[in-house]
Amino acid sequence: MSQLRKFGFTCALAIAAGGSAFAAAPIPPLVSDPAHSQLEFSGIQAGAPFKGLFKKFTASVSLDPNQLAASRIEVQIDLNSLDSQDADRDTAMRGSDFFDVARMPSAHYVARAITKTAKGYAATGSLTLRGVTRDVAIEFQYAPSAAGATLSGTSKVKRLDFGVGQGEWNSTEWVGDEVKIQFSLFLKPPR
Amino acid sequence: MPEQRVIHRYGAVAQALHWIIAALIVTQFVLASLAEDLPAGMHKLALLARHKSFGMTVLMLAVVRLAWRLFNKPPPLPPGMKPYEVALAKITHSLFYVLLFALPVTGWLMSSSKGYTVSWFNLFAWPNLVPKDETAFKILKSRHEMLATILFFVAILHILAALKHHVWNKDDVLRRMLPFTNTGK
Repeated sequence: MSQLRKFGFTCALAIAAGGSAFAAAPIPPLVSDPAHSQLEFSGIQAGAPFKGLFKKFTASVSLDPNQLAASRIEVQIDLNSLDSQDADRDTAMRGSDFFDVARMPSAHYVARAITKTAKGYAATGSLTLRGVTRDVAIEFQYAPSAAGATLSGTSKVKRLDFGVGQGEWNSTEWVGDEVKIQFSLFLKPPR
Repeated sequence: MPEQRVIHRYGAVAQALHWIIAALIVTQFVLASLAEDLPAGMHKLALLARHKSFGMTVLMLAVVRLAWRLFNKPPPLPPGMKPYEVALAKITHSLFYVLLFALPVTGWLMSSSKGYTVSWFNLFAWPNLVPKDETAFKILKSRHEMLATILFFVAILHILAALKHHVWNKDDVLRRMLPFTNTGK
């Protein structure tokens, strides 16, 4: 009897352990390869478009198309690494009226609620920028490969929602509110 | 011999183009000199954006004006002008036409080479003429400024000549470009 009980207990334990292990099966994360990943932004200045990019950022992506609920995208952006193709504009953007990199050098994005769409995927996430956290939606395509995966997509951010544009810049007359974000990431397993 | 019909005044279109472009050019000098001393910032951005919009307006009007000039003979120069005076008048007027194109075009090139697309009063954007190139920008900037200096002195010469005709020669050279005046002919 005691042997049977022991066996039953062991089985139950094994099932419980196996079950919980299955439910929490961590999706192995992939990280962005800086040499093959781009994060660009474009806006409107004085009625004309301009483009820029962040040279330093890291993305960590745990994405399984069959386990979207457990999937996660996390991006950390070094705002100081921006390059808008003009030194004056870069200085202005790093300054206290815009990103204020001296006080808040990075932006952070965590995507949650990833869903499948006709074209690929959509996610809503939280973007923390200049001390303000707001929901930002992204649309992207995800393609796993032997070497890792590629993830590319777009988003739109309203800069004034985050206080990016203080004082005289808190206006859309000369600098547009909407900033388009474009990203193209090559992801590989972390070392 | 039948009397030849000679028109002694500039027409309304020629006068309008002359004075609108003159006013725009004065505005351009004011905007450029105001922006020059400013640090990078919104005020400078706004002044230069307006400078570019007005400059592109000058370019468009220059096209209209050149076409108008080619199809509408201007009134003849007053009799009694010395050959060198006629030559000077023709050179000055030709220079104006060259500068009316060269200044906006070098400005447009300058902005393109700096990586700043030119907009027209926030309504639409002009294409970039050249790719971004800091060295080209510096050269174009100095050319644009040099042309502006030439335009300044040509304009001074033009104004002095018009006044000389009006005050000294007492002819209708100035009046025929002025609206609401009577040249008596």
